[in-house]
Amino acid sequence: MSSASSSLVMLVGLLVTAGCERENHHFSEVPPTATPSASALVVSELQPGPATIAPKIDAPYDDNAYAVSEGKTLFTSMNCSGCHFEGGGGIGPALMDDEWIYGSEPQQIFASIAEGRPNGMPAWEYRLSTQQIWELVSFVRSLSSLNPKGARGGRDDHMMLKPPEVSTPKGKPKTASALPGTQH
Amino acid sequence: MTSAGRRLLHNDSPTPGTLPGSAPELLSEETVLEQARLLDITWRDGGGLWGWLTTVDHKLIARRYVVTAFLMFIAGGIEAAMMRLQLARPENTFLGPDRYNQIFTVHGTTMMFLFAVPIMTAMGLYLVPLMVGARSIAFPRLNAFGYYAYLVGVVFLYVSLFINMGPDAGWTAYVPLSGPQYSPGHRLDVWAQVVTFTEIAALCAAVNIIVTVFKLRAPGISLNRIPLFVWSQLVVSFMIVFAMPAVATASTLQLAADRALSTQWFNPAEGGDALLWQHIFWFFGHPEVYIIFLPGLGFISPIIETFCRRRVFGYLAIVLANITTGFFAFGLWVHHMFATPIPELGQSLFTAASLVIAIPTGVQIFCWLVTLLSGRPRLTTAMIFILGFFITFVNGGLTGVMVASVAFDKQVHDTFFVVAHFHYVLLGGAVMPLFAAFYYWFPKATGRLLDESLGKWHAWLFILGVNVAFFPMHILGLNGMPRRVYTYLASTGWGPLNALSTIGAVVVVISVALFVVNAAMSARVGRPAGANPWDSYGLEWATTSPPPNYNFVNTPIVLGRHPLWDTGSPLPVITGLRADRREVLVTTAFDAEPDYRHRQPNASIWPLFLALCMAEFWIGSIFTPWAVVGGFGLTLLGMLGWGWQSSRQIEVERVDTDLQIIDTV
Ligand code: HEM
Ligand SMILES: [Cu+2]
Repeated sequence: MSSASSSLVMLVGLLVTAGCERENHHFSEVPPTATPSASALVVSELQPGPATIAPKIDAPYDDNAYAVSEGKTLFTSMNCSGCHFEGGGGIGPALMDDEWIYGSEPQQIFASIAEGRPNGMPAWEYRLSTQQIWELVSFVRSLSSLNPKGARGGRDDHMMLKPPEVSTPKGKPKTASALPGTQH
Repeated sequence: MTSAGRRLLHNDSPTPGTLPGSAPELLSEETVLEQARLLDITWRDGGGLWGWLTTVDHKLIARRYVVTAFLMFIAGGIEAAMMRLQLARPENTFLGPDRYNQIFTVHGTTMMFLFAVPIMTAMGLYLVPLMVGARSIAFPRLNAFGYYAYLVGVVFLYVSLFINMGPDAGWTAYVPLSGPQYSPGHRLDVWAQVVTFTEIAALCAAVNIIVTVFKLRAPGISLNRIPLFVWSQLVVSFMIVFAMPAVATASTLQLAADRALSTQWFNPAEGGDALLWQHIFWFFGHPEVYIIFLPGLGFISPIIETFCRRRVFGYLAIVLANITTGFFAFGLWVHHMFATPIPELGQSLFTAASLVIAIPTGVQIFCWLVTLLSGRPRLTTAMIFILGFFITFVNGGLTGVMVASVAFDKQVHDTFFVVAHFHYVLLGGAVMPLFAAFYYWFPKATGRLLDESLGKWHAWLFILGVNVAFFPMHILGLNGMPRRVYTYLASTGWGPLNALSTIGAVVVVISVALFVVNAAMSARVGRPAGANPWDSYGLEWATTSPPPNYNFVNTPIVLGRHPLWDTGSPLPVITGLRADRREVLVTTAFDAEPDYRHRQPNASIWPLFLALCMAEFWIGSIFTPWAVVGGFGLTLLGMLGWGWQSSRQIEVERVDTDLQIIDTV
């Protein structure tokens, strides 16, 4: 095969896989969990014993448009918006800014949702499946454009309380200087 | 033109062979042959791949159009078969819910946008210029452009389906389901752009047919002599001009913009209106149904006339029925929305209008019945399909009158009853006449006849299969089986009728396969047809099969509604169009008196180029706004190139004395 045609094949292959993952609809499956015990998750540098290197777990659905939109539905129906509002924060911290008390990595957000956090964040692992938590993770990340653009949601079908995720500028995540428990 | 010529054209009782006042001058055979040789050189498009890509011959383009659209029928048919297999028994797992959504959406989109409308306009693009005795279509390059735009839509939809990006919100794409929140990803963007491409293609075809019918008719084809198929194409073209912009606007400027640019057209919370989508969609969608089956009805008159050896009963009534149908079709769209909270007055009005439209269609049916009963019908394959049309279409029309009533409609809305209804109308009113037309005009396009005995198997199996596949769906719908669901429980009791319906679908698949075999074989080894195998009357039969690239050596003169039956062959002709460049004769809109000689463009690559630029523009815009910038520049370039070529080629000259009427009899 000539190089031109083989690169064409590669291009088509790329298109297919890229198109596929964005468009797939995952209905019920069991993605990996990301609980600290399983992944030796670090939230702080301060810890006993030798430094550990946390294996990074990619969010399974960051580039999947359908899962992100399912996450959005869950965000409303599980009343996440009751405390975090539409992402701008209120009783709970803001999720659309670039400050992360417990980290912005997928497995860190997973842990925040699954296990809950002090000062009022409930643990959801007894209410939601692992898959649903991952969908929420990707939706939360999409609020500050941490996932690929093609998978981010467009405008909402209700009142416009914030810019749509597709057009939110990408945040540079940083760990909040404040101690956990201090409200923003 | 001489006053004698003028008298000749408008003489109501043609006397074949006599030309009052003009010295009958006969064309010798050598003159005709020499003329044909010169014309062939002038009208020939280049050879090879380049010639293939640049051709503007309306017959070549229309043939590709018909073949592509028929392939779409097969693709849509495969999807239909997959759905029927999935539904054949309760809790089947052949297609999952997500696949099923994509498949029924792509089936509906394919059948409505990529098969039915294009194949009907394509038949018009092939036949109308021949039927009105023109050398070519009015705008040959626009014609090529329309085809390529359509082709882009076809390829785009199917590539998307294969990479799991096929649209999945139904062919009607109702918001909010199709909007940004509930259809994430690009699946619905694909739908919106495919619709745009096909609307542009349909508009190109419509404009072309309107101008061809009004300005390129051979001398003598005054309005009251226009063939009935041409009338139906004319009415449909006007309907396309009014209907298609609505859906193109809704899908591109509103739905796609809501999805990509976060506009709020369809978001009630921000002052938009979700029902607006349904209004605009059905303002197009209802006339669409007539756009599909009026040309189907147009096929019927010439076929019945030919095989009954009798002029159609009620020419005027049929013409007026076409026009009223086209007119009323725009006043019914709300009958698709009876389940939404529209005011009662609106419901009554649209119920009444929906009942009224049955009248003109009924008029046509009765005219044909009279023609059939008072003629001597010959049961050829084409006629069997016409019989199938009567049975199936009338049944669909009856359920149509039923669902026009609000109380009944609320009961069966979104059930399989509706699926049964519209398949009866579409398969009976469009697909059966279309197959009849294939058997009837295939010899004209290829020079060979389709095999009649295989054809009869095809016809009977098709009619049987369609009725077995769709009749049970009425009962299923009345029993409450909803449409657009991928499976059902055994306890519903819907299993047996669904199994029967699937058997019907299998019979349909077999019959269409027989047709494909027949067409493939007959195109190569079928019986040679000659110019006029059915001994029919239209101008398309006055030229060779297949017609030469210039259609007619000399423009025929028409003295009645049935030229070859009225005057006999060969027809009197008018000479004086130049043979050394592409000229068509432009005539007046009402009486078809010679008016201008119009020079037409040669082969051109710009239509293809422009279609590709447009593809870059629309498809790219789904993924990045930069595509719009690039596409805008490219499109501008394409249009400049196109216009630059025109300014060098196209001219118009008033007709002078060098046009001569010649009686060849
Ligand atoms: C014999 C051939 C055909 C069969 C067996 C068939 C079968 C079906 C089936 C099973 C459905 C889906 C019902 C549901 O789940 O709701 C469907 C939907 C549809 N069909 Fe066909 N069909 C055929 C031909 C056609 C043709 C020729 C047309 C148009 C010219 C057409 C237009 C449609 C449309 C518009 C829909 C609705 C899609 C939607 O709900 O979005 N079909 N057909
Ligand atoms: Cu309608």
